Amino acid sequence: MKKFVYLTPKLFFTTLSLLFLLLLISFSIAVLFGSEKIPALKILVASSNYLLGHPSGLSIELETILFNVRLPRAILAIIAGAALSVAGAALQALLRNPLAEPYVLGVSSGAALGAVLAIIFAETFPLSQPLGAFLGAAITILVVYLLGQGKRGTSTDRLILAGVITTSFLWAAIIFLLTVASSAKLRGIAFWLMGDLSSSNNTLLGITLVINFLGITIIFLLSRSLNLLMVGEESALSLGVSVERIKIALYLLASLLTGATVALVGSIGYIGLIVPHIIRMAVSSDHRLLIPASALLGASLLLLADTLARIVIAPRELPVGAITALIGAPLFVYLLRRSA
Amino acid sequence: MLFALELNDKVVGVTSYCNYPQAATKIPKVSDTLHPNLEMIISLKPDLVLVTTASQLEQFTSKMSELGIAVFVIKSDSVKGVLSSIELLGKTTNKEQAAKSLIDSLNARLEKVKQQHSNQTAKPKVFFIVGTEPLITVGRKAFVTDLINLAGGQSISEDVETEWPAYSIETAISRAPEIILSPGSHSTENESSKLTLPKGLEITPAARAGKIYKIDGDLLLRPGPRIIDGLEQIAKLLYPEEKR
Repeated sequence: MKKFVYLTPKLFFTTLSLLFLLLLISFSIAVLFGSEKIPALKILVASSNYLLGHPSGLSIELETILFNVRLPRAILAIIAGAALSVAGAALQALLRNPLAEPYVLGVSSGAALGAVLAIIFAETFPLSQPLGAFLGAAITILVVYLLGQGKRGTSTDRLILAGVITTSFLWAAIIFLLTVASSAKLRGIAFWLMGDLSSSNNTLLGITLVINFLGITIIFLLSRSLNLLMVGEESALSLGVSVERIKIALYLLASLLTGATVALVGSIGYIGLIVPHIIRMAVSSDHRLLIPASALLGASLLLLADTLARIVIAPRELPVGAITALIGAPLFVYLLRRSA
Repeated sequence: MLFALELNDKVVGVTSYCNYPQAATKIPKVSDTLHPNLEMIISLKPDLVLVTTASQLEQFTSKMSELGIAVFVIKSDSVKGVLSSIELLGKTTNKEQAAKSLIDSLNARLEKVKQQHSNQTAKPKVFFIVGTEPLITVGRKAFVTDLINLAGGQSISEDVETEWPAYSIETAISRAPEIILSPGSHSTENESSKLTLPKGLEITPAARAGKIYKIDGDLLLRPGPRIIDGLEQIAKLLYPEEKR
């Protein structure tokens, strides 16, 4: 199933340049389209004026739409898409299972529950949301891992089953809390739970940007060890990789990426599953390429999905998680059948 | 509605949201708006059950008719519907006289509001924000849209069919609302509960002129006689110079 392609510098750079190009195109599409039509030429002129420090030449409405609504939202999509994809790839290496993914394993739901608890019990405490989401994610990974452990190690079936059970439990807890609590902040939370990129919390955006950037970078630096981990713990040990430390680091990083992202945009499913898979099938499963390539592709796909969510029923909006799940769930079934 | 028809002592059960008038809070709660407690309702042996969220309670109403309990559905889609429901309810409960005088006074107040803006040519553009994250507003089918129209305004999100649509911030900005309304609760009328606008909406004419107001949500979202209070409040905000 996996392609063992020797990773040459040429392959590395061509792949990443192509994916970077894709990201640029997706970014342009996300900025060009929205429920309000702004001619492409105007956007081009306005953007170059903006970069040169001149007045944009747009009406104040269009300028605000472009720079204060679309642009921040596109950046948010990039941050979230990259983080979820890399978190997926990290979980897959950690659990040595190609079908591991934050959403499928219930990690996103755990993070969501943590964030909801934080809103209810510590609303005024700064950073309570990402912190709660991080703890929720970390605890969930541990629980799912332990539940998925059989006599002969973790099997895919057991792991997925553990994820399903955990998810339904967590959702029940969330629904219970939403029914009982009546904090004004919880209004509209159903939308957020399905994944929503319209958040306008700048502080949270900044924090998540830093966390996600650092998290992705560290996972990338660990990618050589990840390769050995995928081959097998014993061979990794014999090659001088301290398996336990790497696993703990991966565990914390995956929780951190998922937690920070969910606190900001809710639980957006399947990105972390589809993206690393596409890279593995199309190019290589070498983590030195897989990690940065997943980040780029994940960012592009979430940008495109969110553009769809914004325009299909405009001026109404869809939660972007609905789009990713509609595309991702069938693909997940396909991958499950292939791997069986 | 029942209390306005002087049927106080005939009400045997209310929902957990019923908080007006004061007397309603002392009556056993048999339901929230979506989950009626069948056992409690049956044990209270009501002659009539009033329902406002009928479309979501089809199972419940069919159960009631199976049990031989009459169900009265209050039309909650428009002011007109509410007024005609009051009339019909008066007939059903032998309170025709009370219903008639109630409707007359409500109609008189409605006409007065309409007259205030009858000579206005430009309708102020209103944006009604139900929730900010995500941005949720009112569509054509929502009761509030009718109130805004009657008060002499025009809701910018009128073109959306559904009641509570998630709305694009872009569209809200480009339609340039001149006044922004949102439901508040009567207990938190202080300044600290001010609405935080989604990013970008601060450039709308409404925000620049500081015309962002909260209105007691109970008056706007509940189909009872107090909707006219809500209507008067909206009208006052739309045409402040026409006071009295």
